[in-house]
Amino acid sequence: MKSLQARGITVRFGRIPALDDVSLALGSGRTTMLVGPNGAGKSTLIKVLLGLVRPDFGVFEADGRAIAIDREWKTRIGYLPEAVAFSENLTGTQVLRFFARARAVELRRVDEVLEQVGLTQAGRRAIRGYSRGMRQRLGLGVAILASPELLVLDEPTSGLDQEGLGVLWSVIEQWRESGRMVLVSTHDLALMERRVDDICVLQAGRVRAHGTPDVLRRSAQVPHRIWLEIGDAAETRVELLCQAVRKWGKGSIERRDDRILVELAPNEVLELVGIQAGFPGVVAGLRVEEPTLDAVYDKLLGAA
Amino acid sequence: MGRVGRALVMHELLERARDRWVLVISVLFALLASAVGLYGRTADADVAKLTGPSLVTLASLLVPLVALVLSHDAIVGERERNTLGLLLSLPVGRFEVVFAKLIGRGLALTAAVVLGLGAAMAVSDPAGASALVGLAGPTLLLGLAFLSIGLLISTATRRQVTAASIVVVVWFGLVFFYDLGVLGLLVVTDGGLSQDVVSALVVGNPAGLYRVQMMETFAGPEVLHDLGLSSGLPGPFSVGLLWSAWLVAPAAASGALLRRQKVV
Repeated sequence: MKSLQARGITVRFGRIPALDDVSLALGSGRTTMLVGPNGAGKSTLIKVLLGLVRPDFGVFEADGRAIAIDREWKTRIGYLPEAVAFSENLTGTQVLRFFARARAVELRRVDEVLEQVGLTQAGRRAIRGYSRGMRQRLGLGVAILASPELLVLDEPTSGLDQEGLGVLWSVIEQWRESGRMVLVSTHDLALMERRVDDICVLQAGRVRAHGTPDVLRRSAQVPHRIWLEIGDAAETRVELLCQAVRKWGKGSIERRDDRILVELAPNEVLELVGIQAGFPGVVAGLRVEEPTLDAVYDKLLGAA
Repeated sequence: MGRVGRALVMHELLERARDRWVLVISVLFALLASAVGLYGRTADADVAKLTGPSLVTLASLLVPLVALVLSHDAIVGERERNTLGLLLSLPVGRFEVVFAKLIGRGLALTAAVVLGLGAAMAVSDPAGASALVGLAGPTLLLGLAFLSIGLLISTATRRQVTAASIVVVVWFGLVFFYDLGVLGLLVVTDGGLSQDVVSALVVGNPAGLYRVQMMETFAGPEVLHDLGLSSGLPGPFSVGLLWSAWLVAPAAASGALLRRQKVV
């Protein structure tokens, strides 16, 4: 499967629209992040994709052809639910063996998956002795067990320590490299920021924005932060530079000890470089900070 | 049943085998059944007159409880642990999930019943122990009927603690108070109910059907007549139908309910 598209997905719970005309495209070898406030419709969209909720309207297309969300489709998806808690009486191995049998996966794959998620030793122990992160890693193991074409992860970073996050990143990277798809629903934008290719922002059941992180940064028009490190220049020369930037009249400027912070639109950064060049020796260094996805997200939702 | 259903049956059986509550209550049943068997042996009484009826009383109390303990968390437990969506995301139908759970937990119940009755037979007078074999089938049907009821309660509730509370009420209601209710009805109507209606009311409850069936087995139909249940049991076909209804109807309702529910 090279692409998966949701077109016009609409779900109503009674009169309340949980999803309203949602369209979304997932691409081969790409990780798509689904973000939005609570009640935005992220979980509902995932459940439609998994066949747990039937949409009132809308279709799914794989490689341009309409598909039914049926049993055959379900064999192609791996799913990690949010805060999954398997039966405490069983061992990790027993849980994985059940899903292996259910998905017609050879049992030797269970050991491979246990190793991949770092539970080789713990696999023989009852789940009641697992930490929250170990339970999450077991859930991740269940999701990847059948090597699905589409991996759907609902709040995968929840409860994971550094080791667990490392396991998660390696799984996501493996899926990207092998040309499969990953759909991640999360509130943890900062952690996921460097691991995603596309972002879909949902709000009140509608797609607020969709695109690569750069596209979203541009569309949100969140200013870049430029830090000018002041050298050994006299205070008067520094003040002259500040006045020049203020006179230029773009963005905002703020003096912070031996640094100057200027907030600008991305296309204005070069102009600023030109201005500071007119004051040789004043600026010893310049650092451009792209807006974080958290800032982009806040701006997008705040502007709605 | 498909691959997922078969895997789920085995998974359910394994999970029950590792459930301490199920083990405790099963061992308790086996111990009490052995005690009844030993008492019958030391009293040197006819198995059909003492051990059998005593085991029936014990089984009619404990087997429904074992079954309800086994089944009350079948669906609601998955819902609370966030694994119901994961389970239903497998290529399996919702009816199949319900029936796989019924079969898996039914196998665990069968093991508990066989353990209990087997223990009683093992310590009973060998000459009369074979009379207890006839207990196994109806006792198992009684348990499976309550298992099916527990499954329906588990599907209809949103929290495990609610399901647990409801099964306790159902257990008291059907095992203890139902017969009292029938007696009360007789008093209120001043015996105005026909014996056929009384018989139908008694056998309309799986615990009542079991007791009446066992009474007929161990004491003969004339005892039922003396008790005012003149028509006694309906014919074997109707008895089979009644057990089938108690077994299938709640589980089918559970499947239909689960199918309608949105797993969100």
